[in-house]
Amino acid sequence: MATPLLEIEDLYAGVDGKEIIKGFNLTINAGEIHALMGPNGAGKSTLSNILCGKPGYHITSGRVYFKGKDLLKLSAEDRAREGLFLSMQYPVEIPGVSITSFLKHAVNAVRKYQGMPELDTMEFIKILRQEGKNLGLDADMIKRDVNVGFSGGEKKRLETLQMSILKPTLAILDEADSGLDIDALRVVAEGVNALHTKDNALLVITHYQRLLNYIVPDSVHIYADGKIVRTGGKELAMELEQKGYAEFMKEKND
Amino acid sequence: MTKLVHDIKLIGNEIPWLKDFRTAGKDAFIGQGIPTAKTEAWKYTKPNRFFANDFTPDLQGGKAPARLSIKLPFKACGIYFENGVFSHHDSLPEGVEVLPLIEAIMFRPDLRDRIGALADIDKHPFAALNSAYLNEGVYIHISSNIAMPLVFINHVSADSDGKMYNLRNLIIVDAYASAEIAEYYCYDGEIKSSYFVNVVNEIYIGQSAALRHWKVQDEAFKAGHIALNSVKVRADGLYKSLCLQKGADLSRNETKVVLAERGAASQVDAAYLMNGWATIDTTTDIEHLSPHTKSLQLVKGVIGGQAKGVFQGKIHIAPHAIKTEGYQLHKAMLLSDEAEIDVKPELEIFADDVKCSHGSASGEIDKEQLFYMQSRGIGKDEAKQILINAYLNDIIAKVDNENIRLWFKSFIGEIG
Repeated sequence: MATPLLEIEDLYAGVDGKEIIKGFNLTINAGEIHALMGPNGAGKSTLSNILCGKPGYHITSGRVYFKGKDLLKLSAEDRAREGLFLSMQYPVEIPGVSITSFLKHAVNAVRKYQGMPELDTMEFIKILRQEGKNLGLDADMIKRDVNVGFSGGEKKRLETLQMSILKPTLAILDEADSGLDIDALRVVAEGVNALHTKDNALLVITHYQRLLNYIVPDSVHIYADGKIVRTGGKELAMELEQKGYAEFMKEKND
Repeated sequence: MTKLVHDIKLIGNEIPWLKDFRTAGKDAFIGQGIPTAKTEAWKYTKPNRFFANDFTPDLQGGKAPARLSIKLPFKACGIYFENGVFSHHDSLPEGVEVLPLIEAIMFRPDLRDRIGALADIDKHPFAALNSAYLNEGVYIHISSNIAMPLVFINHVSADSDGKMYNLRNLIIVDAYASAEIAEYYCYDGEIKSSYFVNVVNEIYIGQSAALRHWKVQDEAFKAGHIALNSVKVRADGLYKSLCLQKGADLSRNETKVVLAERGAASQVDAAYLMNGWATIDTTTDIEHLSPHTKSLQLVKGVIGGQAKGVFQGKIHIAPHAIKTEGYQLHKAMLLSDEAEIDVKPELEIFADDVKCSHGSASGEIDKEQLFYMQSRGIGKDEAKQILINAYLNDIIAKVDNENIRLWFKSFIGEIG
């Protein structure tokens, strides 16, 4: 059997001396879409931040492998260059840095690491314009500074644009639907679906079942108090929507 | 003998005016000495550390003039100095006159009362020192609207260790004339050479005239660079400047602007970029002497290592200078825990009905922005460089000539 894309084994981790992830296990194979659903405060963002190497978190124990490599030993930039991508819940604004300049630096850093030739400005702009068009982002928008003055929907589209340019093997979507109206949600979901192939995988972190109508998962995991309490198929999301998280929390405590 | 004061043979002492000028400068310097932490105008910069060693004046002009080694990336009229000594200038556009200052003093007695009238040797010890050695520099006279930038270049090369270069320029922009002058201080000799460049510019801007004045200070990292720009602007005239300081161990760029008549305006901007152990000082003093005068200042710096940035900004509004506007903003980014910023704003407002404000802020590289870039594959150092460039972007944008703006950007780092 092929090496899984992501293997998380018995992970304990947290921030400021507080344990937030408490015995987390998850395996994701190429071609799969996983949904991780949990209530506020369950530690969903902590998990995605730890996976992507954000500073300030501690790992108490456990192991994480990405394509067979010890992920936790890699710098944040090397994780991205290996093909890990985090679509952030609250993407930061970077005044003075244009989207074009930012993404050109990013795409060439990744290409260089992967032994591919760097793109020149003309080639890059062509790709950026085409991908932007697919996501309903006009040419003027990609000249603007990264996320500066963007609406919630525009920010999420830009995250999706970055994903389509960087072509990650594993993309983590952290609350990709927050702040989106139904049209924007559809555009983002279509963008994400268009990128999904048998060689890559998605981990969709979400609060609500709504997004999963558009990005249909193979597995749904219910995450509470630092670990997965229940795993099932896509129907589990429907069940959760009806019963609410409290039911599953109780189940765990029994 | 006082440090920095040396007996050297200077030409022109048979001219009584020149001899007296030099003697007055020498006496004023000896009277004040090298400023210390106790000297109010220098209390943060403490130049005496740099002057632990003596420097001797050198008028040899370097042993191997590299007059062809400086290539500017844009079309300009260059005025070249080698190790502080005038070398040559490119052919001049019509409406521009350039003379070595010593020739101007000898053959144009009418100009003499302009020299020393703006740079006060009793308040500026290094201007006094500069006057004591008055010899090198140029007189630039602008009499029409000049499109091509003039670039004053002092290029320091080998055999500069322990040497002092005093440069004095007199710039006169006639009424209704305009020009763009850049200064470029650069170095390509022995990397550890410690030398001292001491510049005084006296600039007269006539009625409705305009001068755009750009400067890049990129000296060797153990060098010293102290400059005083003293500017007088007449009615409806404009002085606009941006100085980027990024080299030297001790660096100070001081700009004094007198908005002498109604409608005179200035925009004195500065940027600094430093790490290591250097001290880099931007000092401004804007005097509003007449009604309806206006001044703007934006100063931004990036300080890393154990370096120290100093900003002292004074705005003075005289009693009858009503309807005047003066704005000042300083922002700094600190890249390390040991980096230091000292800021001293001073507003002296003696008139009613004026608009005047100042502000200062300092911060660090935004960790969220840094992580965001890293999470897209951009290496940490590259990401930092991009963020530093972005931080300085708005100040570099103040340079309205695109060629010169790109030239400035090249000193900050590559930016896409």
